[in-house]
Amino acid sequence: MSIWNYVVTAHKPTNVTHSCVGNFTAPQELNLILAKCTRIEIHLHTPKGLQLKLDVPIYGRIATLELFRPHGEAQDFLFIATERYKFCVLQWDAETSELITRAMGDVSDRIGCPTDNGQVGIIDPDCRLIGLHLYVGLFKVIPFDNKGQLKEAFNLRLKELQVLDIKFLYGCSKPTIVVLYQDNKDARHVKTYEVALKDKDFVEGPWTQNDLDNGADLLIPVPPPLCGVLIIGEETIVYCSANAFKAIPIRPSITKAYGRVDADGSRYLLGDHAGHLHLLVITHEKEKVTGLKIELLGETSIASTISYLDNAVVYIGSSYGDSQLIKLNLQPDANIEVLERYVNLGPIVDFCVVDLERQGQGLVVTCSGAYKEGSLRIVRNGIGINELALVELQGINGMWSLRSSTGDPFDTFLVVSFICETRILAMNLEDVMEETKIEGFCSQAQTLFCHDAVYNQLVQVTSSSVRLVSSTTREMRYEWNAPQGYSLSVATANATQVLLATRGGHLVYLEIGDGTLTEVKHALLEYEISCLDINPIGDNPNYSQLAAVGMWTDKSVRIFSLPDLNLITKENLGEIMPRSVLLCAFEGISYLLCALGDGHLLNFLLNMSTGELTDRKKVSLGTQPITLRTYSSKNTTHVFAVSNRPTVIYSSNKKLLYSNTVIYSSNKKLLHNNVNLKEVSHMCPFNSAAFPDSLAIAKEGELTIGTIDDIQKLHIRSIPLGEHAHCFCHQEKSRTFAICSSENQSNAEESEMHFIRLLDNQKFDFISNYPLDTFEHGCSILSCSFSDDTNVYYCVGTAYVLPEGNESTKGRILVFIVKDGKLQLIVVKETKGAVHSLNAFNGKLLAAIDQKIQLYKWMLRKDGTRELQFECEHHGHILALYVQTRGDFIVVGDLMKSVSLLIYKHEEGAIEERARDYNANWMTAVEILDDDIYLGAETNFNLFTVRKNSEGATYEERRRLEVVGEYHLGEFVNRFRHGSLVMRLLDSDVGQIPTVIFGTANGVIGVIASLPHEQYVFLEKLQTNLRKVIKGVGGLNHEQWRSFNNEKKTVDAKNFLDGDLIESFLDLNQIRMDEISKAMNVSVEELCKRVEELTRLH
Amino acid sequence: MEEALSNSNQTAPSPSFLANLPSRGLFSSTVLSSNLDGTRDYLCVHDTLPPANQLIKTNQQNILIRSLTLKKQKGDPISKDAKGVAAADKKRAAERGLDSRAPSKRASSQSTSRQDGSNNRAPEKDFYSLTVERLRVLLKEKGLSPKGKKDELIARLKSVNDQV
Repeated sequence: MSIWNYVVTAHKPTNVTHSCVGNFTAPQELNLILAKCTRIEIHLHTPKGLQLKLDVPIYGRIATLELFRPHGEAQDFLFIATERYKFCVLQWDAETSELITRAMGDVSDRIGCPTDNGQVGIIDPDCRLIGLHLYVGLFKVIPFDNKGQLKEAFNLRLKELQVLDIKFLYGCSKPTIVVLYQDNKDARHVKTYEVALKDKDFVEGPWTQNDLDNGADLLIPVPPPLCGVLIIGEETIVYCSANAFKAIPIRPSITKAYGRVDADGSRYLLGDHAGHLHLLVITHEKEKVTGLKIELLGETSIASTISYLDNAVVYIGSSYGDSQLIKLNLQPDANIEVLERYVNLGPIVDFCVVDLERQGQGLVVTCSGAYKEGSLRIVRNGIGINELALVELQGINGMWSLRSSTGDPFDTFLVVSFICETRILAMNLEDVMEETKIEGFCSQAQTLFCHDAVYNQLVQVTSSSVRLVSSTTREMRYEWNAPQGYSLSVATANATQVLLATRGGHLVYLEIGDGTLTEVKHALLEYEISCLDINPIGDNPNYSQLAAVGMWTDKSVRIFSLPDLNLITKENLGEIMPRSVLLCAFEGISYLLCALGDGHLLNFLLNMSTGELTDRKKVSLGTQPITLRTYSSKNTTHVFAVSNRPTVIYSSNKKLLYSNTVIYSSNKKLLHNNVNLKEVSHMCPFNSAAFPDSLAIAKEGELTIGTIDDIQKLHIRSIPLGEHAHCFCHQEKSRTFAICSSENQSNAEESEMHFIRLLDNQKFDFISNYPLDTFEHGCSILSCSFSDDTNVYYCVGTAYVLPEGNESTKGRILVFIVKDGKLQLIVVKETKGAVHSLNAFNGKLLAAIDQKIQLYKWMLRKDGTRELQFECEHHGHILALYVQTRGDFIVVGDLMKSVSLLIYKHEEGAIEERARDYNANWMTAVEILDDDIYLGAETNFNLFTVRKNSEGATYEERRRLEVVGEYHLGEFVNRFRHGSLVMRLLDSDVGQIPTVIFGTANGVIGVIASLPHEQYVFLEKLQTNLRKVIKGVGGLNHEQWRSFNNEKKTVDAKNFLDGDLIESFLDLNQIRMDEISKAMNVSVEELCKRVEELTRLH
Repeated sequence: MEEALSNSNQTAPSPSFLANLPSRGLFSSTVLSSNLDGTRDYLCVHDTLPPANQLIKTNQQNILIRSLTLKKQKGDPISKDAKGVAAADKKRAAERGLDSRAPSKRASSQSTSRQDGSNNRAPEKDFYSLTVERLRVLLKEKGLSPKGKKDELIARLKSVNDQV
């Protein structure tokens, strides 16, 4: 890889951090607005559900999101503040359909200590000011003037230093805040302050309340007529106002989110840490509060935000699991009905790139979610086939669709062939598929081929004859019988021609007339024929001048001319025989596709006039024989390669592209996305009136009708674990996954139990468990083998986390082998600290144990048992958390000392430090890009690359890892892995670009691609030009957003490009594209082509 | 177990609390099917900078200094008043006898400023704040009779002003 990197999002953030409801897009329209870290989604409420109206990228991590309505406005405005101290006020302009920036600004202060409990951004209910609590001891006020315009902001001193929450009170003549804080004795109190705008000062407010619940964490202001505030604690809920005080005890729980139900503020939904949803009711007589009541409604995802939408429907936004749309029902015991689930991959704690089919295409399996929401997610890129109907049907041997007349735009019949019979399915008048009959067809034999023919006729080929049947009367008009002793083995046809092959290598060519079949030509080839095709791709759509023939014995493909059956071209294929050939044309270019018995596909350019085959290319699509079928979608031809890995072949920019297919069901009632891995055995297009543009697909005892998507995208299948998984890995040999997980403990008194669990890599069910000791946590897991041992093991690193101790001082390395689907413990090695990372290293085991990197040898004892023997170690880290190795090099990501490079010296048997990055980066992940360049991610959401400088002139220089790239990703990266989300083809340019995949806490899956320098320079120029055209929403600046930023420094991004911005070029309109093309002095076509190529990286 | 806990600690759910949930008729379909796909990223190509005066900055003045200066500004008129309290007290009391609305000093300064900008239309209210003497001077300037009660004087002045 190189230092010139391109960063692009493959899966957008799905962690819902904020939500609010209001009239944003129009005065009558009710909107749900969601913040997903760096994105905002604007949904419209409709009678049918939510409708996504706008998906807005924001150049910042959203810290607060509020809707408000200044006086005299008919619509709500949106206030957003970002974690890097920018804020903006957005308004929706319905006329231009644009988001307009009403105001924006930088609210950072030069001196200030960021707040411990997150930023607070609140708006006075009477719209007199915006309040921000960003730094300890400061409260920033942005006042509104009487026209709703914002004025210069100013800071106020807030005496309370440990602020937990601040809210504005309703119904106060002067803007009044209520502050929940903790004093230096850890007691929690509530205080109110009036903001005196003229004097720019706080005035003591109407009331205070001391010594609250020690877990009080959340304030809910109550709107008029009741006013006052609810203080939510862990054991009590208190209602407080100037003249009333009510409290009730609650079952211990930590309330994470609340949503107001009624406009008068008498009912609230509270979501706690365990996903319980409570209803809190303020009982009142007129305007006097008489008491509080709380009721448990049921369980949802662990909520980070709750919004009551309408008509008893509630949106539960979650950071730890899937977000949900629920309905509150009156029935007792079933108060909550989950209507919809929205996939959330976050937090991606760990992930693996698994190549189960060895195609170079990664199947990403993530370890997602936290606590009870822990799950595995199987993420696969591909073209989706949306299952619409499904019939159970065993033993399908072939399928063809037929029309009821030549001019009919839709298919009527679906011919399904079995070993010794043929059945016909058709849509009846109620659009229900039922069995029907075509009297003229032979139904007691297997059908070899079927096709529509001219003159309202249908052709059916069985092993003994070719029948011509009228599609209107369904009666046989003509039958051509194969000569005695020569049964037909392979057949193909188009509207006017039939080509047959018999045992013994006879090739027979028939032409179709009105009620007749004429044998035009016969040829005898030297070997048996395996496959045929006469798909017309020339000028005449009903007649082909070429025939492609695949041969068994000499493993060749031959092109014959029609009608005279003269051999034009012969191409030897090598070791494997062809199983399916197809003549096809994409974007005006003719190809011969030839599928082999081992899952490979060869493609040739075909010269239509000479029949010459050139430009041979080979790709691997699966491991089983492939059958090729064409289908059309949106008036373009695509080819479906039927095999154990069904693949779609299409063309873009005159290049053949291959995409995996993923069969899913969009039936929302099923509440899951069934990313199916079953093998497809047969497929044919079936464009019926009821299911237009559909495909019929046969797989393992099922017949499916489905539509196929136009674009490839990520498909996600969820496997709930019900417990928090910390790390996991895949073992190919035993076909298993192993995870370290902790059982979800509802009760705080019991200590949580940690397990090593083994899962089947196909069915994803638990097949074996190993419980760890009390207080022992699984920290790292690795599948590896050792030198002088052919077995593959799972190695698990653990730590004992005692409830009273701060640091763990003891851990273990456990080595397991999988035998008969069970985890069997082979070796235990105690360590003097937590084992944060394990790596396979030169046939040995490299462990990162607190401050040390230790190397263990795999030794055979005299009694035949094994042991891990300490070999050498390296000190000098604060906490060595992340380790990657390559050859003899070891790259360590430290808790706070950035990246260092170690080397293992075989002769001395020692590990030495070679170089280090002297910056103080707090690391979250490291990866080795190539021998000299290492990639790191740190806690301030930045990425950086460092380079080894082995040619440095001085010792000092050689000791230093030079920082060569810096970039603000805006995401907390938990893991890097080498791999690719798409099928890598060696013949394409993109296939040469090495990529690293990353997974983040917000559920983002991203790709980092190392570009050649020329391409980098070109794209950098494009990025600079795009910045001028594509503006940041709310006036936020792209360059500032991507600049590397931590407590110490802020510097412009370098040697990293923002792929999300660059790829949005394709969504620009023509005028803007022209503008950029002019500025770049490169044609629009060329720009599109180059950007499109990049989109194929993910 | 959790259920049992909640039931013992809290009142059994009574459905009435969930009655009458607010509704505007949305989400009324029996089968909800949200449409969350197919939307492309929102691309901003228009100018997203806010109006010039809405680019908000923070007042950089030190909070302590600001509060001191604010207090000083506020304090100034008070201290002046305090100095002249004794001397002006009697005078003011006398003036109040004539006109309960405003002290004469300010009234005269107001009227002079109004003379400077003679085109300015004085609202009716302002005439009331003037003393009778001032009104008479004004009437004389305009060549009108300075006789009569205050209301008459004001009415006369107003009628002239309206003509202008």
